[in-house]
Amino acid sequence: MNTALAKEELERILDQAVQDVTEQTAGVCLRQDNQSPGEDLCTVRITFDKGFHTSLTLCADTGLLSRMACNSFHEESISPEDLEEFSKEYFNVLCGRIARAMFQVTNVPAHFSPPVFYHGRYEPEGSEVQFMLTYSDGDCGGAQFIHHVPRVDEDGTV
Amino acid sequence: MSKRIMVVDDSRLARVQLGDVLEGTDYEIASYVRSGEDAIEQYDAVKPDLVTMDIIMQGMDGLDAAEIILKQHPEARIIMVSSLAYEDTFERAKAIGAKGFVDKPFHREQLLKAFEEALG
Repeated sequence: MNTALAKEELERILDQAVQDVTEQTAGVCLRQDNQSPGEDLCTVRITFDKGFHTSLTLCADTGLLSRMACNSFHEESISPEDLEEFSKEYFNVLCGRIARAMFQVTNVPAHFSPPVFYHGRYEPEGSEVQFMLTYSDGDCGGAQFIHHVPRVDEDGTV
Repeated sequence: MSKRIMVVDDSRLARVQLGDVLEGTDYEIASYVRSGEDAIEQYDAVKPDLVTMDIIMQGMDGLDAAEIILKQHPEARIIMVSSLAYEDTFERAKAIGAKGFVDKPFHREQLLKAFEEALG
């Protein structure tokens, strides 16, 4: 995948998409920050295929995702089921924006799997982190967007 | 008189956002269904002025559902909705007779423009 798009360009695309989609969808401003999310986390993951073969993971404070969901649904509180639905749809829309932006640069159409939701932090097997962007909402809510690429063994096999 | 919209989307988030975007306009959400199959079944009863149809849903694909509705109701005005689409999808939407295409997240201007063009 990475021969199609430089890491710095992908970081730029991801950062822009995160800020735009999060504000438009949930009315929350996320800005890059050094503070990692806490212990109570949720993870959503999608896998890009047909050209890219990588995955993107959102690992965020449950409190942050809950606030985003409450904003989006105009509700005071959110059920676990609604939190999961919101998280998957939000991430789906975000990845759509990213894929469109990647296409504009590379002319390679990327398709991705339906998002999968996990409670806690999820680390995909057989992958390594190419880069990670960490965000905060300025109110103790943190999120990490992690780009995984296939792990290459010492002998060059994937 | 308000124009009546049938929203076909399995995402509650999309439904809420569409309602937010249409607030204060001359469009009202007359019906919300979560699948292409339900849209086909209920179209005749609802008789919307316009349909927004998500493409990726559980069960039947939105393009397939739109194609069936348009065969049964050639007068139907359907706008396809997606978080990601490429040229082949646009071409298929056009070929089946969809009146427009909008991206998620919804932008008020883009959505209203698509509605006006579809109803024009």
